[in-house]
Amino acid sequence: MTYYTIRGIVGRSFPIILFTSIIGILTGQILNLRIENLVAMPIILLLIPALIKIGGDTGSMLGARLSSALHMGLGGNLRHSPVVRNSVIAAFIVGECAFAFLAVVVWMTGEILNIGMGLGNLIKLCLISGTFELLIVFSSTVTIAFASHRLGADPDDTVIPLIATLGDLIGVVGIFMTMYLLGFI
Amino acid sequence: MLSHAGHEENDENDFVDEYLGDYASVRSIVREALPFQLIATFGGVASGIILSGMTDELQMIPGLIVIAPAVLGMRGNISSTLGSRLGSAIHMGLITKIERNPELINSVSGSLLLSAIMSFILGIMGHYITIAFGLQSAGVLSLTLIAVIAGVSSGIILSFVAVLLALGMFRFGFDPDNVVTPAIATIGDIVSMLMIFISARMVLSL
Repeated sequence: MTYYTIRGIVGRSFPIILFTSIIGILTGQILNLRIENLVAMPIILLLIPALIKIGGDTGSMLGARLSSALHMGLGGNLRHSPVVRNSVIAAFIVGECAFAFLAVVVWMTGEILNIGMGLGNLIKLCLISGTFELLIVFSSTVTIAFASHRLGADPDDTVIPLIATLGDLIGVVGIFMTMYLLGFI
Repeated sequence: MLSHAGHEENDENDFVDEYLGDYASVRSIVREALPFQLIATFGGVASGIILSGMTDELQMIPGLIVIAPAVLGMRGNISSTLGSRLGSAIHMGLITKIERNPELINSVSGSLLLSAIMSFILGIMGHYITIAFGLQSAGVLSLTLIAVIAGVSSGIILSFVAVLLALGMFRFGFDPDNVVTPAIATIGDIVSMLMIFISARMVLSL
């Protein structure tokens, strides 16, 4: 008998991957509704995979930290806990730095590929949609981590796949909202 | 630990809070996490370059944009789980070599089987949900074929990378948990996007 069995691996992961795949398809539908805009502005296609990933990445890091803190019993008083507060602040700083960095990298890549957009517009687009994404993803992360802890589920199994998928969905919604706000579409 | 009654509890809490405030300081978290995040952002831009070069395929295969994020997300979830499972198995001493190792074979085949089943479901769901939204779709066969070819081929490549990376890192004295999952997440997006592009071209040429 081996510790890992194929049946065990498939059985345990199937429900959560099925759920996240349905959310992934919905994210794709939002892109599909705006496919003309995307094909006309390839720089947005260049931006999307990285932009939507930052929220999921920093949210997953936050989720993993909160989950470790909860496992160690350090998260008792949520509002005053320095672990929660510092982790949220740090994840926010990392996220915002990554969005600013992304705007510059995409601007340079766009110039090279000749599908450019002004650096100012890219920075506005990245920072506004990024901040929107971080606010929603982080508040969900804290809620999911504490709720699954209270319900007795292991946060490690639930938080990270859910947050990564939610980050994609909120990221895509945020990009289109910001493009609309800035008058690009 | 925090369940004592009385005002001693407050003192103890203050002490614990102060200690943790130093231990989990904003500065130390940012310093550790930011470099990884910036590298991951580069990886995201690399897969964005592939996506922005796919405008022809996106127009010729309606519905391709619907399954693309789902395939990327599925790939990321399955591969990072494999990476973290390999890390745990190595820590438990279950995996020490590549040849004839049933734990390793089961971990990899489990994640590949899951990829195959999920890609199949993704293609079918992608088609029918697109139709339900009243939008055009290239057809259930094309979308399923693209999802399965892209999902399974990127799964095979990433399994190889994950196994080699996990065992290699361990052998050189690194903790695979710290390296494999972020590395696989970054490489995973690039490989999956490339495989979506290649399988879209294959289906177009049929």
